[in-house]
Amino acid sequence: MTRWFEDITIDEDFPLGSHTFSAEEIIRFATLYDPQYFHVDPELAKQSHFGGLIASGWHTVSVGHRKMVDALFAEEDRLRGLGQEPGVSGPSPGVNSMEFKAPVRPGDTVTYTLTVTGKRASNSIPGWGLLFNRLVAINQHGEMVYKSDLVGFSKLRDYQMPAKLRVLLALTKVPVLGKLISRRS
Amino acid sequence: MTNPVTHDRRHFEDLAVGEVIDLGHTTVSKDMIITFAREFDPFPFHLDEEAAKTSLLGGLASSGWQTGGLSLKMLVDSFLSKIASCGGLGFNDLKWKTPVMVGDTIGGTVTIAELRRSSSHPQWGIVTMDFDVRNQKDKPVMTMRLANLVECRQAEVPA
Repeated sequence: MTRWFEDITIDEDFPLGSHTFSAEEIIRFATLYDPQYFHVDPELAKQSHFGGLIASGWHTVSVGHRKMVDALFAEEDRLRGLGQEPGVSGPSPGVNSMEFKAPVRPGDTVTYTLTVTGKRASNSIPGWGLLFNRLVAINQHGEMVYKSDLVGFSKLRDYQMPAKLRVLLALTKVPVLGKLISRRS
Repeated sequence: MTNPVTHDRRHFEDLAVGEVIDLGHTTVSKDMIITFAREFDPFPFHLDEEAAKTSLLGGLASSGWQTGGLSLKMLVDSFLSKIASCGGLGFNDLKWKTPVMVGDTIGGTVTIAELRRSSSHPQWGIVTMDFDVRNQKDKPVMTMRLANLVECRQAEVPA
């Protein structure tokens, strides 16, 4: 969430909202990223064991990511509305696991929920923390569509940069020296 | 019952552990990055060059989900559309190692790591594949282990 790392609560569910998948968008996404016949051709898809067109798992996951980003922005607005300075979310280093459980068909509505299951300070990037997020997607029949364990970066509010890092950062601002330092690191 | 779409394709029995699939190459344009980010990942560091410069990524870079999607597209073109694939089961240990910047060309290999019969569905096998996606400087961009279902020619395990 777009809270400071220190303020993020563990095991609290954040509803991310729902998305209804149309045949048009399923085909459009799959044409670019996963053009297997059961994702792009409604007629041929009938021959598959799915019995019809289904969304690429990568598509349902990308929509889940969008839902998470929208929730982060909404939280940012909420905190600003309360007169608070929101935290900063960073890019993700990866995904520990992703399980596709049930197919998504045209007209299906998928509801996404995020839970932060753990957090710790980053060892490699000073001033940032790692968040361990579980994102679960459920369809309109209550069946699980996918379950994922994701990792994300979040900025620390109370971080004090060590003196030697502050000196190094100041040195990177010196033209020639800065290039040498950034090449080394 | 044979599937007319896939009966000419390679089946589970035709695959071997250690087989290496060449993914070919894809060049990632600014337009591709922004189009994907607008729909699926509208963080400023995927949409705006100025905002991206001061982010952890250091410049306009593709969404990790787009990098994965483009890698998947390359695997479909080079492999999954030529086997009797019946969908993905999921993936593990996906790591985004280096951001993909505007103009970068990504490619690499996928290696079959494991083949096993499905215990619940005798007509299916599971192929597990390791992705090694790299950029034009041969720097690792993304790795992951993907599991995909494949039709078997024969439902029973031969004695």
